[in-house]
Amino acid sequence: MSKFGKKPGEKTTGSRIFNLFSYVFLIISSCVSLFPIFYAVMGSFKSNLDFITGKGGVIPQSWHPENYVKAWETANFARYTLNSVFVTLCAIIGCLLVTSMAGYVFARGAFPGKKLIMGLFLGSMFLATGAITIFPIFSLAKTLGLNTSLWGLIVIYIFSINVANVYLVMGYVKGLPKELDEAARIDGCGFFATFMRVILPLCKPILATVALLVFKLVWNDYLMPMVFTLSNDNLKTLTVGVVSLKSSGGGAGAYDIMLAGTAISLIPMLTFYAFTSKFFISGITAGAVKG
Amino acid sequence: MNNKLVAKKQSLWHRIKQGRVAYLMLLPAVVGFVLLTLYPNLWVVSLSFFKYDGITNPTFIGLENYVRLFTRDPLWWRAVLNTAVFSVGKLLIEMPLALILAVMLNRKLRGSNLIRGLIFLPNVTSAAVMAVVFSLLFSAYNGVINNALFTLGAIDYPIEWLGTSPHAMIVVILVSTWQSIGINTIFFLSGLQGIPEDVYESGDIDGAVGIKRFIYITLPLLARMLQLILMLAIIGSLQMFDIVKVLTAGGPSGTTEVMMTYIYSHFFPSSYAQSVVSQVGYGSALGVIASLIIGVVTSIYLYVSRKMDDIA
Repeated sequence: MSKFGKKPGEKTTGSRIFNLFSYVFLIISSCVSLFPIFYAVMGSFKSNLDFITGKGGVIPQSWHPENYVKAWETANFARYTLNSVFVTLCAIIGCLLVTSMAGYVFARGAFPGKKLIMGLFLGSMFLATGAITIFPIFSLAKTLGLNTSLWGLIVIYIFSINVANVYLVMGYVKGLPKELDEAARIDGCGFFATFMRVILPLCKPILATVALLVFKLVWNDYLMPMVFTLSNDNLKTLTVGVVSLKSSGGGAGAYDIMLAGTAISLIPMLTFYAFTSKFFISGITAGAVKG
Repeated sequence: MNNKLVAKKQSLWHRIKQGRVAYLMLLPAVVGFVLLTLYPNLWVVSLSFFKYDGITNPTFIGLENYVRLFTRDPLWWRAVLNTAVFSVGKLLIEMPLALILAVMLNRKLRGSNLIRGLIFLPNVTSAAVMAVVFSLLFSAYNGVINNALFTLGAIDYPIEWLGTSPHAMIVVILVSTWQSIGINTIFFLSGLQGIPEDVYESGDIDGAVGIKRFIYITLPLLARMLQLILMLAIIGSLQMFDIVKVLTAGGPSGTTEVMMTYIYSHFFPSSYAQSVVSQVGYGSALGVIASLIIGVVTSIYLYVSRKMDDIA
């Protein structure tokens, strides 16, 4: 094939110049991407005075790890962290259960009304969400007495089924050979037992993707936990805790605590991302494209 | 014939009975769909015909909320306009930039996996939390951005990034682009990787190299993907909430107020709304119109992009 022309990426003067230019552009872009996060983590070690006087640059002049202790103990961040971890874990487990069952039923079930239900689910992607529907959802939770604990938040995350995730699981199950189901049936497994014993164990890769998507969504979410904790500081998640430090008048005096809180909320996600970034990127892309 | 019908009915009943396990397994998802998607949407539509403060009984006022929305609420239409400005500005910056980044990453230079990971990084952070960080970066006094511009000699006096118009809108657009450009780059990249190598090889024979190759081969083959990416981006930017709420709260004096923050301020008027009483009915009417706007924009986009497809 090289007889006919140059392969893409083969070294000509033009492509060398473009490669060099690409390098410079890509490196600048990654620096811009990284900088705000780097700034936040560095800032979490700066003293409040350094912030107010603007002394030093991004790197702290003197290091103050006690900011974390202050945030953890006096600013209630221990509580916020616990809340975030608890809500996220419960939401992941619940979502996996609901999503995998729905995905399996859509892929393998045969019953009247399946097409209709699938159509309704798909159509729901065009219905309003977010700020538009948060009020009735919150009132509903209030009526059910779910607004006084974190369970309201958890229940809502679990049951706000993400259609895209259901379709991810459905697609995956459809790709598994049907002979598996038949073999299980011959061994005496019913529809549910086939799911539990045969299909679910094989779904681990796609369930890991769904878990990741839910983790990212719930850990980072702001609107829902904010509304649920408007009147109860002890229920706040990390995201809400950080933002409320900014908006409360004390913000100007508590940059150090605010950034320590920011770092506490960023670090679990960053650590996780550092080890699984490839999986992270492909999972989130798959989820978004299906949606 | 009557017997046939009975048999059919029986078999339907039979099939329903057979599917009972499947129905049970689907139940949580269906309950969630009904209670958390269907019910809130119907609720919002019906409450849009009421005057309701969230506490006392709602009173039916017919189309009054809609009349107010269309004739007496310039603030709402300014929020709609701001949303449009935000969306157009963001897409104009983000889409070409994401495409360029993807093309460069697709050359598979050494280290491009690491760079890809870094460009995607903002996407896994919380928009609300990072908006707090950006409010420090862009603060007028001793903010990193202003200090850098000072050092470079680009400015003589501090810019009130978040306190003056149009700077605040520019910052919101930049921060939002920072957050979401990674995923669009990855989308473009997966589109590029789907283009088979031999297409380029036959292009080489015809003399399509460099920028020509990009315009005549890459772009047309990317059209399908581009359509999808743009649609997701448009819908996403019309629903913008977190960054505006945290970074500017719609200010200064409403110049960055977008549809979703304006709607929210009617349901939960805590910090900066026009009145301290919830206007749930009116907020619902705003929500209905916002949904319609998003639906219409999406439909127009789909229609136009189909037409473009036919031409190409």
